[in-house]
Amino acid sequence: MRALFLGNVAADTANGVRAELPPELEIEIVADPKELTPKAAAATDILVTNIWRTDYPPALRIALVQSVATGIEWIEQAALPRGIPICNAYGHETAIAEYVLMVMLAWSHRFREIESDFRLRSSWAPSWVKSGAPHGEIRGSTLGIVGLGRVGREVARRAAAFGCHILAANRSPRETGDGVERIYPLATLDEMLPLCDTVAICTAFGPETERLFDARRLARMKPTAFLVNIARGAIIDEDALYATLRDGTIGGAAIDVWWQYPDPAEPERRGSRHPFHELPNIIMTPHCSGWTAGMVRRRWDEIAENLRHFVKGEPLINVVTTT
Amino acid sequence: MKVLFLGGFAASQVEWIAPAIESAVEIGVFTDEHDHARMAAALSDAEIIVTEAWRAGMPPASRLKLLQLPVAGTDGIDRAALPSGVTVCNAYGHEIAMAEYAVMAMLVWSHRYFDIALAFRGGSWRDSGVMNGPLHRELRGLTVGIVGLGQVGRETAIRAAALGCHVVGANRTIGEPPQGISEAFPLAELDRMLPLCDVVVLCVGLAPETRGLIDRRRLALMKHDALLINVGRGPVADEDALYAALRDGTIGGAALDVWWQYPNAAEPARSPSRQPFHELPNVVMTPHCSAWTDGMARRRGADAARNIDRFIRGEKLLHVVAQS
Repeated sequence: MRALFLGNVAADTANGVRAELPPELEIEIVADPKELTPKAAAATDILVTNIWRTDYPPALRIALVQSVATGIEWIEQAALPRGIPICNAYGHETAIAEYVLMVMLAWSHRFREIESDFRLRSSWAPSWVKSGAPHGEIRGSTLGIVGLGRVGREVARRAAAFGCHILAANRSPRETGDGVERIYPLATLDEMLPLCDTVAICTAFGPETERLFDARRLARMKPTAFLVNIARGAIIDEDALYATLRDGTIGGAAIDVWWQYPDPAEPERRGSRHPFHELPNIIMTPHCSGWTAGMVRRRWDEIAENLRHFVKGEPLINVVTTT
Repeated sequence: MKVLFLGGFAASQVEWIAPAIESAVEIGVFTDEHDHARMAAALSDAEIIVTEAWRAGMPPASRLKLLQLPVAGTDGIDRAALPSGVTVCNAYGHEIAMAEYAVMAMLVWSHRYFDIALAFRGGSWRDSGVMNGPLHRELRGLTVGIVGLGQVGRETAIRAAALGCHVVGANRTIGEPPQGISEAFPLAELDRMLPLCDVVVLCVGLAPETRGLIDRRRLALMKHDALLINVGRGPVADEDALYAALRDGTIGGAALDVWWQYPNAAEPARSPSRQPFHELPNVVMTPHCSAWTDGMARRRGADAARNIDRFIRGEKLLHVVAQS
């Protein structure tokens, strides 16, 4: 049986999990998909990757696609044999929950501005010694979590220890707990938004969540509200968010996921067609909220476990869909 | 009864304290600490004074009974200069803001937030997961050592523990470890705790036993990639030794909110240290503002007001720090 690890993330994964795989599994690593040969594609039983496209060579023997990421939207299912499972991997929820708390804290404490003014200009203005204007704290603020899955739960658990009030909106019914005081059906999101000081988007991307945050919903948020997106860029309407932040309709945003990504032709491509980087009220990071050593270790463990299950004919974990 | 807010800082706290006082009081405000002639008149009939600074050479305040600090720190009060029969009380409410700051500094450090955000604003995707960039670190699983298990230390421990840190602490006196803390060391055994910690948080005030506590020898006991956070008082860490340790990579980095020197009228933008900490890439620095939140001002104002009410009603006072 042959497993093809395709792409640079999968290439690292292969080296990380190799020792935990059954010896009978042959491993082929192709870090750059442009170098994938028709022969290697045709001989593949298990595809481990984060990308698969219709213009790749045919791979008719593939019986399992193991994604090295949680989202599988870059794997084009039309280019795969029918009826095979696509599994994903998690392990990122701790890292992302830490990121959400970090940006909430940094935003309310005005950490980056205060730090940079002090470092560059020795400005004591925000200090008690100058009786400066106080900054905020997150204790007592209301956090609304959109999507109470693995990431949303971990965010709730941490925010509760900081004394936040926690609301959540979810498509399907969920139990309260982990500090969540009330759960709104996603269809009634409009009722939750005006109550929140922070809204954290932690939901999966799909037809019901594409452009969930449009101009109308953004306008329902508090004028001081802080919007965090660690899920997928397209859940927020790009034009509407830019206008909202530029015009100060909401207070600010932390954006880790984008509407467009770099490619070999344009390695420094901006994440949006709008100049978000010129706005002072946005925290922007390059899709790295989950990108920690702890995440990789947990994810490798899950991927190795699933490949062992497949080789032995045992039930798979993390099956997202069947082609 | 008259409550006199004395000095510029106390005057800035009137808006948080005065509305929270329930008893009928007359509020007096005296801002100019250098005008001793007019200050003498203001002090002569004051039974309650709100100030954080009391120095030798102040005009007599013979009727003074309660000196209510609008802050926690008592280092501005010269106890020997107080008239007799005065109870000095401080006020709290800062511990939550400072605990948030400490955990924020840990997160920003381990997730390399400043560095990543700056590069990305400039257009670089080098730290992205989709580009298979360098991994950063999680807080979960790290060992956090808290020096000083007072209110700030305990609130920090609760939050760090909720993030999955292994939290230990050191304190002058130890009893049952507070919530979130798995092991408490006597301060005299700090040397045993330091080598265990990925993050060390200084939450102690300045006292003879804490001045210079973190010196060259103790910095060398810390892990080479450890983060030192100081929200206590600057001189708890030895200025020259800390600068050298950060410059030479003896420890990984520092988040410093408290300093060795402060601005004054002659030097409003005075550098916080004689060493150029601002040139070091592994330092996060803020101007003594970790506690300076709206929530702190509200809680502390309410705390001071409650004590003023207790004094007027003849009830037991809270947070008594000295009696002259």
